[in-house]
Amino acid sequence: MIRPAPWLLGVGLVLAGPATVAGQGPGTPWEMPLRAGPAAPAARGEARLQFAPSPFGVAVTADGRHRYDVRITAENLPDPATLGPYRVLLAWETPRDLSTWHRLGVVRNGTSLVGTADHNKFLLVITAEPDSLVTTRSGPTVLHGMSPSGWLQQFLTHPLFRGMSQ
Amino acid sequence: MTRYLAPLLLVGLAAPLLAQDPGATVPRDDAKRGGSANIRLLAHVENNAGAWKAADIEMEQDAGRPYVYVSGFVNNNFQVYDVRNEQAPKLLLNWTIENPELHQGIGAMDGKYFKLGDRYFYVQSFQFAQGGPDSDLGAIVFDVTGLPDPAAVREVARIRYAPSPGGFHNIFAYKHSSGRVLLFTTIGGDRALVYDLGRVVAGGDPASWLVGEVPNPTPMAQLGASGYHDFYVGYDVARRRDVFYGAGLGGYSAWDVSAPEAPSQLFTITSLGMDLAHTFTPSPDGNIAVTETEYQYTPLRIWDLTEGQDGRRQNLDIPLSAWTADWRDLSHNHEVRWPFVFVSAYEDGFFVFNLTDPKHPRTEGWYYTCQCTHEHGFGGGPNVGWESTTSVMQGGFGVDVRNRDGLIVLSDMRTGLWLFRMDGFSGWNGASVGMPNISSVQDYDRGPAPSSR
Repeated sequence: MIRPAPWLLGVGLVLAGPATVAGQGPGTPWEMPLRAGPAAPAARGEARLQFAPSPFGVAVTADGRHRYDVRITAENLPDPATLGPYRVLLAWETPRDLSTWHRLGVVRNGTSLVGTADHNKFLLVITAEPDSLVTTRSGPTVLHGMSPSGWLQQFLTHPLFRGMSQ
Repeated sequence: MTRYLAPLLLVGLAAPLLAQDPGATVPRDDAKRGGSANIRLLAHVENNAGAWKAADIEMEQDAGRPYVYVSGFVNNNFQVYDVRNEQAPKLLLNWTIENPELHQGIGAMDGKYFKLGDRYFYVQSFQFAQGGPDSDLGAIVFDVTGLPDPAAVREVARIRYAPSPGGFHNIFAYKHSSGRVLLFTTIGGDRALVYDLGRVVAGGDPASWLVGEVPNPTPMAQLGASGYHDFYVGYDVARRRDVFYGAGLGGYSAWDVSAPEAPSQLFTITSLGMDLAHTFTPSPDGNIAVTETEYQYTPLRIWDLTEGQDGRRQNLDIPLSAWTADWRDLSHNHEVRWPFVFVSAYEDGFFVFNLTDPKHPRTEGWYYTCQCTHEHGFGGGPNVGWESTTSVMQGGFGVDVRNRDGLIVLSDMRTGLWLFRMDGFSGWNGASVGMPNISSVQDYDRGPAPSSR
C-alpha cells in the first residue's frame, strides 16, 4: 500500500476533516470546530451557524451572501485579565486575508449567541480585548476556526488523500 | 594531509562491515541512539517547542558568515543561528509570520540564501492552505547582509502566486550562467516557476519577477496531473548548459534551462515504482544521479544518466543500484559532495554513503537524531497534532554541507538542529576528486561556468 507523503501533493496538506469539539468526527456544514490559540491552550469550543432571523427562512444580504448568527459553545476559557490588560473575550469575523475585522460580540464559558456573520468564507476568531466595544482587534487569540464554506477549495491544490495517511 | 590518513584508513577497513547487506540485522528502533565512530556530534539545539521543530535547513558558505537558517515547519517561523562556535550555536533571529495561529497548512518549509552584488539575502518558502490567510504566498525574501545584528535583517519582498494556492514546497536558488540569480519554485500546478531574484529584490511590478516555467512531463500516474516536488539545478560543464533536474511525482525529468524563458526537455526517468518521485540530485558532472521516492520501504536509487544527457535515450528506466539507511524506513533529502552523499534519513537521522563505485554504494557513517517512535511520523492535521500512526516521515528532514571546511548541519523534524563533522572530510572542491566544482553550493561572485571565473 502506498503511503503518500502528505505534503507532496500540491499544497501537500492532509488536513483531517472538520472535527467536533470532542473530536467525534466530521461535523455538519454548519458546525465550526474551534482550535485553541497559544495564549489559552486549554480552551475548547465550537460554533454553529444558524440563519439570522428572516421572514424567508434563509437570510441573505442584498447581494446574496448568507447571513448567519453565530452560536459559540466554549469551555475552559481563561479569565481575560490573566492574559494581559484585558477584560472581555470577543468574537470576530474576518475574511481569509484578514483584511477587515467585524466584531461579533462577547463570548463566555458556556453558550454565547453573538452577532451576524455574512462573509462567503471567513475565520471566526475569539480574542481577549480591553473592552467589549473596541473596533480593532489587538489582543491574543484564544480560539479560532474556519467557516465550513472554507473547505470548498480550488481543486488544483486541494489536499488529495485526505485521511489516508492516518 | 597525514592527519587525515588514520581516520581514512579506519573508514576503509570498516567499510566492508558497514556495507548494506540485505540480510544484515538492522538495529531495533529503540536502540537507534548515537552514531558511528567517524561522525562527531558537535551540537544539538531543540529549536522550537512542541512535537514538530523543523523542516529544511540552509547554511551560508562564505568565510565570515557563519549563519545557518532553520525552517520552522508548522511553527510558521524560521531561525538564524550563528555557528561560529560549533559547540554552541547562538540564536540570532526567530522570525514568525504575523498571526501565526490563524495560518493553516504546514508553514515554513524550505529556505535558500543568495547573494546579489555585495548583499546577502535569504528566501523562505511557505505553504499555507486555502481557508486561511496567505494561501497565495510562496516565499518571503529578506536582506540578511547585516547579520549578526538581527535588527538589520529587513524584509524585501513577498512572492505571491495566486493561480496555484498553497505556496512553494521547495525552492532552489541558482546562479545561472547568464549571471542572473534565479529562484526555481514548486507549485501545486503542473510546472515549476522561475523567478529572477534580481528583479524581485529591485521591486517593481511583481508580474515581471516571473521569467520562466518548466513543465512537468512526469505527473503522478494516478492523478494524471501534478507538479514538481523538488529539484536541483546545476551547470553541466562538459556540455556547457544549465540543467534542471526535477522530481515530478510520477518520475524525473531533466531540462536544459540555459534559456530559462524557454526550457528544453533533455530526458526523463520513468519506471515502475517511481510514483511520488521526490528528489533528483546529480553528480558534479551530471553523469550519475541519486533519486528518492517518498514512500516507506523504498531505497534511494542510483542512476547512470550519460545516455540521457548525451541524447541517446529519451527515457531511463533501470537504476544502477540502490541504498537505504534501514529498509523498514525511508531516507529523505540528500546533498551530493562526490563521492559522498549526505542524507537526512528521516527516522534514521543522518547518514553518509559513498558512490566511488556507483554500482555498489557503501555506507560511510551515521548518527541517529530522531529519537522517535517508529511509524508515528507526520500526517493528519493540527487536530491530531500532525501525527500519524503509520507514517515514517519524521526525523532527519534536511541536510547541508559547508564546502570550505566540511561542517555538516541537519534539521530533524522531531529534535531540531544538529551539527556534525565527519572524520577525514574537511571540505569539498570538485577539483580534488577529478570532478567539476559543481554542487548545490552556488558561486555567486563568479557563476557556474569555468569561462565565467
